[in-house]
Amino acid sequence: MTATSDGARKKPLLPTGVLAGYLRQILLPVAAALVVLVAWEVSVRVLNVSPVLLPPPSMILERLQELFFPLLLKHAIPTMWESVIAFLISSALGIALAGFLSSSTLLREAFYPNVVLFQLIPKIALAPLFIVWLGIGSQSRLAFSVFISFFPVVIATLAGLDNVDRDLLRLCRALRASEWQTFREVRLPHAIPYVFSGMKIATTFAIIGVIVGEFITSQAGLGYLILFASAQAETALILAAILVLCAFGLVFYGLVAIAETVTRTRFGA
Amino acid sequence: MDAAISTAVSGAAPVTDAPPYMSVQRVQKIYETAGGAVEAVSLADFTVTSGEFVAVLGPSGCGKSTLMMMIGGLEPTSAGRIRVDGAEITGPRADFGYIFQDATLLPWKSVLDNVLFPIKLEHGRTRDHLERARELLELVGLWDFRDKRPRQLSGGMRQRVAICRGLINDPKLLLMDEPFSALDAISRDDMNAALADLWDRYHKTAIFITHSIREAVYLADRVLVMSRRPSVISHDVRIPFQRPRRMAMQETAEFNEICGFLRRKIEEGYQRA
Ligand SMILES: Nc1ncnc2c1ncn2[C@@H]1O[C@H](COP(=O)(O)OP(=O)(O)O)[C@@H](O)[C@H]1O
Ligand SMILES: [Mg+2]
Repeated sequence: MTATSDGARKKPLLPTGVLAGYLRQILLPVAAALVVLVAWEVSVRVLNVSPVLLPPPSMILERLQELFFPLLLKHAIPTMWESVIAFLISSALGIALAGFLSSSTLLREAFYPNVVLFQLIPKIALAPLFIVWLGIGSQSRLAFSVFISFFPVVIATLAGLDNVDRDLLRLCRALRASEWQTFREVRLPHAIPYVFSGMKIATTFAIIGVIVGEFITSQAGLGYLILFASAQAETALILAAILVLCAFGLVFYGLVAIAETVTRTRFGA
Repeated sequence: MDAAISTAVSGAAPVTDAPPYMSVQRVQKIYETAGGAVEAVSLADFTVTSGEFVAVLGPSGCGKSTLMMMIGGLEPTSAGRIRVDGAEITGPRADFGYIFQDATLLPWKSVLDNVLFPIKLEHGRTRDHLERARELLELVGLWDFRDKRPRQLSGGMRQRVAICRGLINDPKLLLMDEPFSALDAISRDDMNAALADLWDRYHKTAIFITHSIREAVYLADRVLVMSRRPSVISHDVRIPFQRPRRMAMQETAEFNEICGFLRRKIEEGYQRA
């Protein structure tokens, strides 16, 4: 009897097919994560690790449940607000600056290398400067967050505006389109996917900017809560706060992804 | 045998009193590149009368596209002048229609919006234009596809959309640069037939660039043979067939005789070079 005969054919470990394919894409990573969590839980208990060093996942969940409404949500709100506002400002600023730079070869040649060079600076090191300039209020956190999150938008948008098929630009010339018409009808729609890829990166950077700002100076926010909890050796609370941050980051990214789908079906880019 | 085919070398256009619709006067094009100067067109000198369909035939790299770009005002000439309808060419013109080798449709616009794109740029979309777009798309069999995006169409369908776009403005001169050379042989025959039909209906003046001898003979009233570089218009051949043109025409002895004649002229060009 060969291995391929009907009787001997093994059932696949997971169901196959299109729907099963999607399920698999979701189930498999979830299962893998569960395995890691269970291993974490078991080993921390078996080895009797102090919860200050590494609390088990069950304890983090407990903290999350217990403190979500009284504490975590209260601190999450300013962090989320500031991240979203910083993101909106940096997106608008980034797209505008990219449009401005791509409008003339002279401007681009003068500024683009500087933008790229600036991108290389470890910008987090500049956070304290913003406090010197703008004080300890939320405006310094916002400004810093905008500062680190708008570079990816500028760079990606510029790439999108400039990578336009030369044939399309020749068509615009043949049809005697103005610079502005060429920008609006061809460069900008072409850049939409690029803009969104920059904006997706910007969501993460905006959150990082706000958290770093809160580490340095603030009376509220998840960054502040994490710092406070670490001073109290409340490791489970730190991790619970990080969990909330992760959830927010995911939702934020997801909303931008949805906005992208809507825009792209609208423009069909 | 060759002598039976009427051929006139450049410049010897039929003598009439009225100035020709288009005149290309001793035009030369030299591209200055980092690797030195490239003489893309050495000497082009011919005239075209209104309503004529002129094919420019030559091997690839001989400067056909360059010639078309100069006529269309997309490239300046290095020497010589081009006049169309009484005015010297200084840039792209509204009374020209352009069709390029690639369909170059806007991927984010529907078929209908692509056809209407030139009108949109002129801020002039009207009911009449919509009617005209409909007429053109129906002629090429794509009206039912008007809401589709270019990526949902085949290469031949995309090029038909590009042709409709080139005609939407009702141009006086249609400039086509190897519009079908990216298509497979069967779609190409279809497109040739479709273009011949459009031609019988609208009767524009046209410059049609191609490196296919049969395509040139099937479509054109006149074929200009462009030699390999240094590129000059080496022959100017009148195609005697009646319109409307029919596919079956391609099987006639006369058709094949003209094709053979043109092939020999192009080969002569190779040997001289
Ligand atoms: N923009 C350009 N800059 C420099 N050289 C060019 C340019 N366009 C075309 N050429 C050169 O000019 C010659 C003729 O090109 P082209 O007009 O495209 O020929 P064809 O359309 O007959 O294939 C080629 O050698 C090509 O490399
Ligand atoms: Mg060419």
